[in-house]
Amino acid sequence: MTTETLIWLLPLPPLLAFFVIVLFTNKNKALSHTIAVGAATLSWLGSMVVFVTTLGVEHFGEHVFNSSLNWLPTGDTFLKIGVLIDPLGAVTLFFVAWTILMIFIYSVGYHNFGQPAGEHDRPGLAPHGATVIDEQGHKHAVLSVEPMYSRFFAFIGLFAFGMYTLVISDNLLTMFVGWEIMGLCSYLLIGFWFAKPSARAAGIKAFMTTRVGDVFMLLGIVYLYWATGTLSFREIFRPEVLSDLAETITPIFGLSAAGLIAILLFIGTIGKSAQWPLHIWLPDAMEGPTPVSAMIHAATMVSAGVYAVLRMFPLLTAGWQGHGLTPEMSVVAFIGTFTAIFAATIALAQNDIKKVLAYSTISQLGFMIAALGMGAYVAAAFHLVTHAFFKALLFLGSGSVIHGMEHGVLHTGNHHLDPQDMMNMGGLRKKMPVTFWTFLMGGLALSGFPLVTAGFWSKDEILADAFAHGHWTILITLSLAALMTAFYTMRQITLTFLGEARTQEAEHAHETPWTMTLPLVILAIFAVSYGWVGIPEQFPGLGGLIPNWFHNFVGATLLEHPEAVAFSWIPLGISLVVALGGLGLGWLVYKDHKAGQPDPLQKAIGPLYLFLQNKWFFDEFYNFFVVKPVIWLSAVFTSLWMDKGLIDGILHFIAKTPIWIGDFLRNKFDKPFINEFIGDGTAAVFQKAGHELRYTQTGRIQSYLIVSASFLIVLAAVLAYLFLA
Amino acid sequence: MDFISTHLLTTILFFPVLAGLAILLIPSDQIKAIRWTALFASLVPLGLSIWLWTSFKPDLAGFQFEEQYTWYAAINSTLHLGVDGLSLAMVLLTTLLTPLAILASFNIGDRVKAYMILFLLLETGMLGVFMALDLLIFFVFWEIGLVPMYFLINQWGSANRNYASFKFFIYTMAGSLGLLLAIQMLGVLFGTYDILALAQRWTTLETSTLLGLSTSTVKTVAFWAFVVAFAIKVPIWPFHTWLPDAHTEAPTAGSMLLAGVLLKLGAYGFLRLVLPFYPEEAAHFAGWLAFLAVMAIIFGALGAYGQTDFKRLVAYSSINHMGFVVLGIAAAAKAMGTLDATIALNGAVLQMFNHGLSAAGMFFLVGVIYERTHTRDLRQFGGLFPLVPVYGTILVYTSMASLGLPGLNGFVSEFLVVRGAWAIMPVFTALAMIGLLMTGAYILKGIKDVLHGPLNEHWAHGEHRLTEINIREILVMAPLMILILLIGIWPAWILDVINKAMMMLF
Amino acid sequence: MVPLSWYLFLSAALFSIGLYGVLARKNVIAILLGIELMLNAANINLVSFWRYGSTAQMGGQVFAIIVFAVAAAEVAVGLALVIAVYRTRKTLTADELDLMKW
Repeated sequence: MTTETLIWLLPLPPLLAFFVIVLFTNKNKALSHTIAVGAATLSWLGSMVVFVTTLGVEHFGEHVFNSSLNWLPTGDTFLKIGVLIDPLGAVTLFFVAWTILMIFIYSVGYHNFGQPAGEHDRPGLAPHGATVIDEQGHKHAVLSVEPMYSRFFAFIGLFAFGMYTLVISDNLLTMFVGWEIMGLCSYLLIGFWFAKPSARAAGIKAFMTTRVGDVFMLLGIVYLYWATGTLSFREIFRPEVLSDLAETITPIFGLSAAGLIAILLFIGTIGKSAQWPLHIWLPDAMEGPTPVSAMIHAATMVSAGVYAVLRMFPLLTAGWQGHGLTPEMSVVAFIGTFTAIFAATIALAQNDIKKVLAYSTISQLGFMIAALGMGAYVAAAFHLVTHAFFKALLFLGSGSVIHGMEHGVLHTGNHHLDPQDMMNMGGLRKKMPVTFWTFLMGGLALSGFPLVTAGFWSKDEILADAFAHGHWTILITLSLAALMTAFYTMRQITLTFLGEARTQEAEHAHETPWTMTLPLVILAIFAVSYGWVGIPEQFPGLGGLIPNWFHNFVGATLLEHPEAVAFSWIPLGISLVVALGGLGLGWLVYKDHKAGQPDPLQKAIGPLYLFLQNKWFFDEFYNFFVVKPVIWLSAVFTSLWMDKGLIDGILHFIAKTPIWIGDFLRNKFDKPFINEFIGDGTAAVFQKAGHELRYTQTGRIQSYLIVSASFLIVLAAVLAYLFLA
Repeated sequence: MDFISTHLLTTILFFPVLAGLAILLIPSDQIKAIRWTALFASLVPLGLSIWLWTSFKPDLAGFQFEEQYTWYAAINSTLHLGVDGLSLAMVLLTTLLTPLAILASFNIGDRVKAYMILFLLLETGMLGVFMALDLLIFFVFWEIGLVPMYFLINQWGSANRNYASFKFFIYTMAGSLGLLLAIQMLGVLFGTYDILALAQRWTTLETSTLLGLSTSTVKTVAFWAFVVAFAIKVPIWPFHTWLPDAHTEAPTAGSMLLAGVLLKLGAYGFLRLVLPFYPEEAAHFAGWLAFLAVMAIIFGALGAYGQTDFKRLVAYSSINHMGFVVLGIAAAAKAMGTLDATIALNGAVLQMFNHGLSAAGMFFLVGVIYERTHTRDLRQFGGLFPLVPVYGTILVYTSMASLGLPGLNGFVSEFLVVRGAWAIMPVFTALAMIGLLMTGAYILKGIKDVLHGPLNEHWAHGEHRLTEINIREILVMAPLMILILLIGIWPAWILDVINKAMMMLF
Repeated sequence: MVPLSWYLFLSAALFSIGLYGVLARKNVIAILLGIELMLNAANINLVSFWRYGSTAQMGGQVFAIIVFAVAAAEVAVGLALVIAVYRTRKTLTADELDLMKW
């Protein structure tokens, strides 16, 4: 089997698993998860084979794996679709395969496989727990298995198919297909517990918000297809095509065609990667089954948005001279930078363990987008990969925490307690050691804890890039965001794991089964070690010990290999200060936090805290200015006023006109004139005449004869007079 | 067999009528016999159409399987039939949907005989329009299709059926008056009704005055006469208000065919008659047509989102989807002969086919739940997914096809339309995106209100307990679902035929 | 030979007598007799015009014979009617048989 054939086959096992589970095995939980995990393993294995193969290819950037076939006939030509694995694709494939496999394994434990079914559980709601009676006759409340267990595996199978399709695509069209299939899956998974109105609304919100971006992206794709006649990346990124696009000026804001297309496509990313102003869906997406779908949305799918910008990087930077920023790059850089700081501020004031992670995801994605806007291609890709690992770890870890807390909730029976609220936790490090240590590693990576964590190396590279090219605003903003990141991460760790338990439930929390902790351990290894493949060559001490493999490998994706930025102490110093400072500050503020106390931050910043806690009131803003007007526009304006009122009114008017005319003719013409005058009138005249004349009808035959005889005589006389005379 | 292979089109066309006559002989109380006879009778044209499809040669220009018989010699009108790639796709769609609609009507118990005969008659009417190569024959079949549908709505419809059927009938009739006049004018001018001959001679007409007016005025008037007739049928905004009423009141199978095939007659008219007959006028007025199409897309979607009646929601979605067909046609009309136009037309024709599949499916699914609950009010459903998981899955699947999810059929055609139209009318295309966005909104609203959310306990217990979709109903959906997926993944099998036809036609 | 006009006078006299009978007599049978006289007056006319005209043309004689036949039939029907009327009305006075008046 050639590598190309293998690449074609990569997305298929999860898709087959989806169909098999939906059509045949949905009644059998064990079989369903076996099929799904088996399929994910197959794809993972294939991906690893492909990845290892790419490592062995000399100058892989020029000798990529690419194969395509004719898909859509368009006139005399065809629109081709195909697969492509280049260095960027290879590293993406690597982390996608790993994270997806980990999700699949983790889901088995998260959905309580092997536990009894709950008495009150019903499809569409999260399991409530079951009661078991042990040998001594004691009743125990235990976790119960998810009622829609098989369905969940079918959905994540479809999701994996979408993600693999996106990664291996050599063209925008199939990439968009994968993109939208993931959109569907995120809708289905966020709204997985569909009977809960909030989950249902969150699913719709996610789908609709990303769809706003998607329709712009579709326009961008269409525009690109029209302008270049192809959608294959390698065809588009030929220098002559790019320079053509860069030189064509469009009437919209004077952007070049390349810039306009890049921005249209980027709006798709804004939706998918939850960038401001389309970020609103991601926090709500935490309504999904706790860690798994959250992780799908936060660690894998949102990466697709950044991946798309990475893929379109040559287009985004077409016409860029290497210094300063083109208008389209400025837009991207602005959105990314603003999102990074904006989301970080909100994360400071969230109490839900998953919401904090959700906002931190938005913020970190902002880092990547900002890096891309500055032209820091490799740094963005690097942060994308490391972030995927450590954020996946954090989400799975938070799921593990919630799961542990649910144990506690079942133990105390206090179902009003929110197992996701960090204020109810504390001291979990003793109860859940594996979760604690892995979560800590993930948290440190997120904060950019120096030297040992992957997050440090990738974030440092972004800051270094901003410094090297003199983007001061971006540098300062991102540094502030990084400081906040470290702060809220430490806040989270402190509130959750350190100190003493603040509730009974936290006292009785319990470590989760191996199916959940194993993925945590594996991801923790990557969260730490993945940074070592991208240590800058000139880094003091460590640099050069291991070659900067990541930069050389991924940089080769581009036609012009980007230069690594020169080393400087300033960005490194900033990194160290914000990471350690933030972590320290977070620990200091929250280490003695007691149950029932208000958040110390609230005292410090006052009303601003409320503003942050309410997410800058963006939901309210959109609800008032977008959602309500649209509902009015459709339910009242279109349906009632326009269609039923105006258009049907005109129709009914037209339909009534003949009735009016008919009425008029009948009442004003037919009845008085035709009927009464002509019809009845004539009859009346003759009736009258007949009435009078009837006296001539004597009934005597002889009088008739006399009349006729005399008439004959008169006639004869007249004729004789006329003709004889 | 020889007779059939040489008279394939007439056999397909008239077999349903003959079968209807045969059903006339079955006693009215033999309901089962009537149903099965009707079903098998409608499967015969389907089989023959598949044969037609396989023996059709897409590379040949012009019409194939042509047949011509004297019909009305005094005015030179002949029964001239033939198919090209465009009509072939529509014939296949019609013969596919009719058996499904008949199978879907197996639950009808009231005057089954008349019902089935009307359906078969309707099939002949629709097929005739797609096969006719003579304007008068075209018009005759155009009107024939109207009558059975009127009775189906009027006799087997729901509460407000009198209003709806009347509106449908009168509106369409009003539209076809102008069409008839324009057809007569062409017939008088050229002494023939043959579409092929007319298209040739009418477009190259060189006299400067006709009937005392300048030729361009006459042509413009005739153009609008054609356009209005077809625009009402499609329907294009603002001629669309008959559609929600008619679709909502019609019996389930009637809505399936109404949305699945009858709307396509209008779009087919645009492609078969308006564009070839009036290329200049079409190019000149393309902007207006595109404007109306975009209005249909946007307000169709908004209208759908504003409904509380599930069936009305689906009905409005038809307006939205058919808007894309017209947008593609309008764009193509403006830039006839270019690659962009071909792509737009490919998209428009494929969208016709795709909408036939997904709209028929959606209407059927609404019918399934209506039959069980006797309500279509979205507010009275809620959380039904756990009760009817199979139905729910099928509904989500079909809804996604309707939404245009990539990987299913709707996306391919919408992509092609948008691609073709973007090159020619970027502003209208960009505006159409609002409609595409709202498509998502109303589809999700439908799913949300029916399947998701807290369970409405009314449907969970006792006599109201909702029953799962049965085998017969799944059988109706299965072919549609398979085709939806097939076209989504590998559209080339049908698009190849359409593409070649479009290249040779325009 | 007697000139034609004599016959014509005779015929006119007969016709006038018949007409008088029809118009003036009360008895229905007398009216019938008057009609017979008028018919025979016509017959005299027909026969004499034949005789004084071209004898090769048989028209006059033929008409006369047809008139005989019609007169015979008329008498038969007429007398039958008279008997029928007399049976129901017990009278034969024409003035009293005025059922057909207004």
